[in-house]
Amino acid sequence: MSDGVNELARAGLSKDLAVGGALGAGSGKGVRAQSELGRGWARFKRNKLALGSLIFIGVLVAVAIAAPWLAPMSYTEQDLAGRLLPPLTDGHMLGTDQLGRDVFSRLLYSLRTALMIGFSAELVALLVALIIGLWAGWRGGKAESLLMSFTDVMYAFPSYLFSVLLVVIMGRSVFAIILAIGIAGWVTQARLVRAQVLKMKNLEYVEAARSIGTGGVAITVRHILPNAVGPLLVTTSFAIPGAIIAESGLALMGLGVAPPTPSWGAMIIDGYTYVLAHPHLIAAPLALFSLTMLAFTWTGDGLRDAFDSSEEDHA
Amino acid sequence: MTVLSYLGRRLVRLVLSLIVVSIITFGLLQLVPGSFSDLADVGSTALGDQTSADGGDLVGRYGDDVPAWEQYVTFMQGLATWDMGPTYKYPQTSVEELIGEAFPVSLSLAVPATLLTLVIAIPIGMLAAVKKDRLADYGSIFTLTTIQALPGYLFALLLVLIFSVGLGWLPVRGWNGPEYMIIPVVALAVQPTAQLARYVRSSMLEALRDEYVTAAYAKGGAKRTVLVRHVLRNSLIPLVTVVGPIFAALATGTVFVEVLLGIPGLGRLFTLAARTRDMPLLMGTTLFFAAILMVLNLIVDLTYGLLDPRIRHEQRRGGSWRRSKRPAFLRDSQVFGGDSGDDGGGGKRPPRAGAGVGVSL
Repeated sequence: MSDGVNELARAGLSKDLAVGGALGAGSGKGVRAQSELGRGWARFKRNKLALGSLIFIGVLVAVAIAAPWLAPMSYTEQDLAGRLLPPLTDGHMLGTDQLGRDVFSRLLYSLRTALMIGFSAELVALLVALIIGLWAGWRGGKAESLLMSFTDVMYAFPSYLFSVLLVVIMGRSVFAIILAIGIAGWVTQARLVRAQVLKMKNLEYVEAARSIGTGGVAITVRHILPNAVGPLLVTTSFAIPGAIIAESGLALMGLGVAPPTPSWGAMIIDGYTYVLAHPHLIAAPLALFSLTMLAFTWTGDGLRDAFDSSEEDHA
Repeated sequence: MTVLSYLGRRLVRLVLSLIVVSIITFGLLQLVPGSFSDLADVGSTALGDQTSADGGDLVGRYGDDVPAWEQYVTFMQGLATWDMGPTYKYPQTSVEELIGEAFPVSLSLAVPATLLTLVIAIPIGMLAAVKKDRLADYGSIFTLTTIQALPGYLFALLLVLIFSVGLGWLPVRGWNGPEYMIIPVVALAVQPTAQLARYVRSSMLEALRDEYVTAAYAKGGAKRTVLVRHVLRNSLIPLVTVVGPIFAALATGTVFVEVLLGIPGLGRLFTLAARTRDMPLLMGTTLFFAAILMVLNLIVDLTYGLLDPRIRHEQRRGGSWRRSKRPAFLRDSQVFGGDSGDDGGGGKRPPRAGAGVGVSL
């Protein structure tokens, strides 16, 4: 029972819920005004590596948004006389590529492509996962078994195969690629949402809400969803770099965003032809790509430590 | 007998899943802009002639006046009899021939990479477990978590920059002998190694807490003997089942490394099919991937049942269609990110065993 109380105390995301928690526990003990998110953030802040990574991601996002102003040259402008220049020549900080385009400018724009696709694809996946996961978890029955058998099929269907098929159908526009990656990636999160709903739907505060006549949609959205934010934040923080990897992987296969829009995958596969003589062509995107992935991973680890209560439970 | 009926149920289910995957794939491919006859027209202008005998076979199978369901049925019959006919792009050869050539190449990467993973990951995981809470443990866990986040092709690039560009020891790309295998095999092994080492660590830690370990020490067993004979042995049981998904991920997840390094494996064949919208070849490779994953999953579940009587009991009790228990982290493939749900398992992002196991090679 004390588990349940803890759960409820932890659950207090809004004042509403805190009141519900107090009702369920039968006393005000353990209910704090501070929200779940607030406490998670406090724990997160103590992890310097994670905080630093989050700040770094913030900088990356800012750079990606400001790319048109920061890029010294256009990413499409070719200079056939100045092809494959080494770094630091003629004002090209990172040299030029096989068509004489400024590598530094293309790198900034490829960051923009990667982050835009990574975040939007994850948003698509999250939306689909929320709708289906909440529905399956709350209603159970047919909806649930449908989701589960679909998930089983998807587990046997590697998500990148599915993304590739979708890109083949929809073409290589940014929008199509966001959809292709997002649609292929929602399954795991839908299962997570469903598991959260199942865990919470029989807790006292939900029962209390039901007993005063709150409808199913209102309960799931207002009372259950806010308490699933922590775990969802954690999976999302790992899924975004996954989507970025997917984007550059598609580009590597020649199925990414259509040229001349730069993408890490395309820069790597194009530059690879010249790797022996001009290794900087792949070293630059490789470095930025790796740093971005690491920043997301460390942020995700920090979030998990901050929000995943399973460890303290075992302690 | 019960094992047999369990096996039978799983096989039926496997075939059903495969059919669902095939319908999804075929259905999606029907939406691809441009029909076979468009492609054939382009081909005829480029090649001058397309009314060869092989062209006739293609028209007979995928021509405009053949209804979609008939094309599907023909293809599935072909799949069942391993005779899938010519492809759009290569009318002279057949889907099964191309797969038959490419699969051994992918296998010759996946098998050594799996072995390398085992050889390296088990000692690292053991060491980290024995040194728990000491610097070596923290250091290795941090390094492993970090490594796990990076897709295999980034390691391939790094290795190329160091050993091909920098030192000039290894070839940059191609497939022409054993020295061409080194970079892809090592690059492919890095991520699963990190994953497996973390798994070995946590499974050793669990075993270390068990009473029989205390008993073994109490009997006066030397530390090393206890570790190897008792702890390692017992933590190896779940390990057996981890190898399957890792191998599945490697066998199907080599796409990016193959494309990057120009290795003529299954992944590159799939890429080629996708880029040229070669419907029969895409269907063939996709279903082949899916079938490998499903069969390996089945083998893993059966092995697990054989090794752990509790699971066998579960299977018998009839969760008729339920998938059996297996380390949660192995479920999704990390190979192509997207869905790295951390649903509590040991490793962070398992690749979907459909690559799933994929977190991202």
